[in-house]
Amino acid sequence: MENLHTLEALIIFATGFIVSFVCLPVIMRRMREWGIVGHDAHKKDRPLVPEMGGIAILIGLSASLLAGLVLIPTKSDLLISFWGTVVIAGIIGAIDDLKPLNAKVKPFLTLFACVPILLMRTYTPNIVFPIIGGTRLTMVYPLLIPIVMAVTSNAVNMMDPFNGVMVGSCSIVTLTLLVSALLLGGGDAIFLCTSLLGVLLAFYYYNRYPSRVFSGDVGSLSVGAALGAIAILGRLEVVAVVAFMPQIMNAFYGLSTIGRLYERREVARPTKLLEDGRMMARPDPKAPLTLARFILARGPLYEREAVTIFMILSIISGALALVTAYLIGVTP
Amino acid sequence: MRRRILDFVVLLLFVWACMLAGLWVIATIIVPLELPEIVNNSLTSIIQVVSSASLVLIWLQIWRWLARSIFWRAINASTNTLKTYENDRGKRKA
Repeated sequence: MENLHTLEALIIFATGFIVSFVCLPVIMRRMREWGIVGHDAHKKDRPLVPEMGGIAILIGLSASLLAGLVLIPTKSDLLISFWGTVVIAGIIGAIDDLKPLNAKVKPFLTLFACVPILLMRTYTPNIVFPIIGGTRLTMVYPLLIPIVMAVTSNAVNMMDPFNGVMVGSCSIVTLTLLVSALLLGGGDAIFLCTSLLGVLLAFYYYNRYPSRVFSGDVGSLSVGAALGAIAILGRLEVVAVVAFMPQIMNAFYGLSTIGRLYERREVARPTKLLEDGRMMARPDPKAPLTLARFILARGPLYEREAVTIFMILSIISGALALVTAYLIGVTP
Repeated sequence: MRRRILDFVVLLLFVWACMLAGLWVIATIIVPLELPEIVNNSLTSIIQVVSSASLVLIWLQIWRWLARSIFWRAINASTNTLKTYENDRGKRKA
């Protein structure tokens, strides 16, 4: 990355971080006033925590991308299509937060988050696989984009079991994609990753254990869509799949146990809170086999310990994703 | 904590290695597949798609089976701990 681009990337990062960090307390206060709060189910006293803090993610991301537009006008198509994708997913999430959507309607709607990318043709229909090399998928690639968007946004939305896990693990995925982009010779992914990383780190400050705010679906769907968009626009598809493995595993196990798309409130809870404040996996065969339940299968844990394990799993997946990026780099 | 992480790492490495191996098989064996001339091109394409899809389905099935077996073995191992906990709680309430 050239020096000039390093400075631009740093400004984009700082803008997203500062704007999110500053506006989040205001949003938290407003959500409390409007009664948009949820119980923190894994605490003994079940405290009320403001929901829909993900709006700060959208505001921060918009500000950092605006800074990007001013600094690098040549990348305007890329930045606008990325912003449009995230905003569409965020709006779907906000609707779901205010009026819960059906388990099938929500994934269906997220298919349309990629419309800006498809309309502005900011994608490259060429996937580079490790060992195999590049493959041109001119016809198939545009058809895969909506699926990628629905998978990433809903997979992130499904893996929000404990305080800070969604934002923490997605920050690790974003950092992995950033390092991979640098390993593979820079590219557009750097600007997108830095804008998202700044916003996520600011949000993580408030969302980490014990959470002072929840992201809501407005946050999780927009972050998932942002990661999917980075994978597509930054040509990091295979690396993203590996970095995203905890989220993919969580969704795959859950769907394969239940056998259909489901909402959390429709099925048996996968975990149970014990009197001493620890959580345990329910031995109920009808409960979805989520990653949280998988981690708790070996015995009860405190929430803080479970969060630490989630972070370690994300770091391990990130390391394997970097190995994958290296293999892509050395593939002739 | 180590055992919990190890369970995940086993699955992660399995999925990753199978993904790379599967992609290699599809790219080097299935895609360049050429059948004798008596078999037309459409049939060759159908065979390529069906064999690739079968490979993916087998991979997903093994992945699911592996995840479930690891999970239920771990649950069964911790059941005794849970029973002890429930008994203690029952005694305290009594």
